[in-house]
Amino acid sequence: MTAATQRSAAGASRTTSIVNDAFVRGVFYQLLTAAILVGGLWYLVSNTIENLSQRGMAAGFDFLGYSAGFNIVFTLIPYREGDSYLRVFQVGIANTLLVAAIGIVLATAIGLVMGLARLSTNWLIRNLARWYVEVLRNTPLLLQIIAWYFGFFNLLPVPRQSIEWGGTFFLNNRGFYFPAPVPQDGFGWTGVALGLGIVAAVAIHRWARRRLEATGRSFPSVLVGTGLVVLLPTATFLLTGSPLAWDIPALRGFNFRGGLSVPPTFCALIVALSIYTSCFIAEIVRAGIQSVSHGQTEAARALGVKPARIMRFVILPQALRVIVPPLISQYLNLTKNSSLAIAIGFPDLVSVWMNTSLNQSGRAIPIVAMTMGFYCAVSLTVSLLMNLYNRRVQITER
Amino acid sequence: MPDESRLATADRPLVFAPKPSRAPPSSAIGPIAWMRANLFSSVSNALLTLLGAYIVIVVFAAIINWALVDAVWEASNRRECLDKVGRAGACWPGVIAWIPNLLYGLYPKDQVWRINAAFLMLVVWALPLWLPGVRSKLAIGLSAVLLYPFPASYFFHGGEQDLLWTALIALGLAAFAWVWLTTFSERFTGLSFGAFVARVTGDAEQPEESARLRARIGYAVLYLAALALAAQWSLSEVPTRYWGGLFLTLVISGIGITFSLPAGVMLALGRRSHMPFISLCSTAFIELFRSVPLITILFMFNTMLPLFLPVGVEVNRLVRAIVAVCLFAAAYMAEIVRGGLQAILRGQYEAAAAVGLGFWQSTALVIMPQALRIMIPTIVGNFIGLFKDTTLVSIIGLFDLLSMARAVGEDTTWLGLFLEPFFFITLIYFVFCFLMSQYSLNLERRLGAGQRR
Repeated sequence: MTAATQRSAAGASRTTSIVNDAFVRGVFYQLLTAAILVGGLWYLVSNTIENLSQRGMAAGFDFLGYSAGFNIVFTLIPYREGDSYLRVFQVGIANTLLVAAIGIVLATAIGLVMGLARLSTNWLIRNLARWYVEVLRNTPLLLQIIAWYFGFFNLLPVPRQSIEWGGTFFLNNRGFYFPAPVPQDGFGWTGVALGLGIVAAVAIHRWARRRLEATGRSFPSVLVGTGLVVLLPTATFLLTGSPLAWDIPALRGFNFRGGLSVPPTFCALIVALSIYTSCFIAEIVRAGIQSVSHGQTEAARALGVKPARIMRFVILPQALRVIVPPLISQYLNLTKNSSLAIAIGFPDLVSVWMNTSLNQSGRAIPIVAMTMGFYCAVSLTVSLLMNLYNRRVQITER
Repeated sequence: MPDESRLATADRPLVFAPKPSRAPPSSAIGPIAWMRANLFSSVSNALLTLLGAYIVIVVFAAIINWALVDAVWEASNRRECLDKVGRAGACWPGVIAWIPNLLYGLYPKDQVWRINAAFLMLVVWALPLWLPGVRSKLAIGLSAVLLYPFPASYFFHGGEQDLLWTALIALGLAAFAWVWLTTFSERFTGLSFGAFVARVTGDAEQPEESARLRARIGYAVLYLAALALAAQWSLSEVPTRYWGGLFLTLVISGIGITFSLPAGVMLALGRRSHMPFISLCSTAFIELFRSVPLITILFMFNTMLPLFLPVGVEVNRLVRAIVAVCLFAAAYMAEIVRGGLQAILRGQYEAAAAVGLGFWQSTALVIMPQALRIMIPTIVGNFIGLFKDTTLVSIIGLFDLLSMARAVGEDTTWLGLFLEPFFFITLIYFVFCFLMSQYSLNLERRLGAGQRR
């Protein structure tokens, strides 16, 4: 307020026109924008209210408690036909997150391999990786999902002629069947051992790092840590008498019983999503490693550092700084792209919530708002974490 | 002891004449050396090469066998194909029979020439951009972006014209004529069309004023001729529900690409603005649209746009999809442009201010050209993403290339024929996207030439 009076007073004393005062102009433009926005919103809201009353549609979130009268073919969390709409929302979120989690792991693994392959000294491998990336990156994801589904998973043989691996994994046109772990009494100890192993490994790693920085003496902390994480639970598992049974799927009549299964739509979605995203990850990995100047490698070599340690202590820490931010945004993209599940009928959030539930209940506004709210929440949380990470790894310049 | 030859040459100046260098050993050149360096440099590399070669052979052999060797080229329905080769070979007759639909959707077959004509018009319109000796390239480019849509949309949609519509179409036609007139006059006389008209109609000694007037009269005559043509022009109406195939894909992505760049620039400027309210609004818009999947935005516009508009106003399905795609693309473009803006050093702003440029002038003449140039690869990458993302409109019931390809397998004659049309449209998408990315690399190399040292 005082600034405003001072500014305009200064403007007046300079005898320039008030029209040319940057501050006055700024305020004017902002008021204009606000007026247009408010006017536009008012127009939309009044239209919406009128439309809703005209069509006898209700707004509001009361429908969340109503029973949703449809079944969902695949749910990660328990759901029965007749559960509430709120439950449908949760089922959708769980399915979306499941697809995202598995997709991220697979895409990272494939992308890492492909990214390193693109840097290979071997001409054939380099070009294979290059064309893998070019072809898959330049075709629409939706097309890939649909092609995997209609062109592969849907054409698989019937359960009686399943493709099988060792009599435990089965793939057919009803989905992918695999054994379900059934923990027996005492399996909890293995879990405890695993937890202890991880804690010990982290502690050793930290101690080794501190000692390395203080005295320069190194300690094979990764080897010892991995050993702890693997051996401790395995030993406990064997000592407590292998308390884990496997429920292996078996053919009964026309279909499989027992074990766990995922529908073909899930397989198609996961395969397409992870392959598509892996291309982008491969390019990110390649760019990240190439961004570390060759002088760094040469300097490390001149100091007599072994190649494996050059990679681990010189190149990777610098490359990761370049790799991680775009990598995370690819993870976000994968999560958002999992919404294409609707094209082949996998029940993810968009499919069960924004499509089925919206059509059934007619509550367009709350449903659209909730769906967008979920995706926004995921994005904003991830970008918050991202900012924290960036602040940590940023190069601290003098 | 000095020897004879030394003494004999002592009075001549000593010139160092190197012997011609020997050819490199055969182990260092030629295909074998190349293979040794690039394929078999170590045991592990040799193993990798063998593995890679195995993959290449298996994959290519499978594709070639399926798509060419074992394929069926003539059949009247899928049954015949299956009887001949089963699933071992592709059944191309289905795709061939559907090619008109894949390209043009359900557009009336006797009107398809209009689509071809409109695309031809765009090519002819933009052709001068690649001709040497043409100076008004910026104007030609802008006219193609801003004015081509009018005649094109009349080609595509047709129907009744009201007065405004006729005027706009005429503007497009006049611009089209101007592009080629000015191209010719610039190539052959070095004068732009207006200057050429002034030169032809009067002599050079006459004052500037009168020359300008005559150039204007030239433009007016051009426009009136276009207006007469546009008023005569009448095409039957083809409602947008018949639009489809590659044509629809290109229309949606074309509009999206054209809209997203200027809108993205404005949003990016808004986000960086010093005015808190404008910056807040731009940021909120960008973050909202970037954090949700495109399909949710398409759904939102599909279900909510009818609610947002006054009772009784029907919005065409295609328009809803286009609005959603445009806003979505603009939000992404805004972040790219902002990235470019952040890379511009402060000195550029200060220098622009020092020579007395205002905000818009310095932005348009100094900052943006640099910011956009840095971002060309990313911008084209975004265009490619947009082109691929248009496939999503098939989910909300538009008949784009992808949904036409799906429809082949649902046609009773070709029931279950999915792989072949998918293979075919994959090639189409790949060619478009790959060409775009290669063009961007080329552009980057050419534009960056002045920056490289």
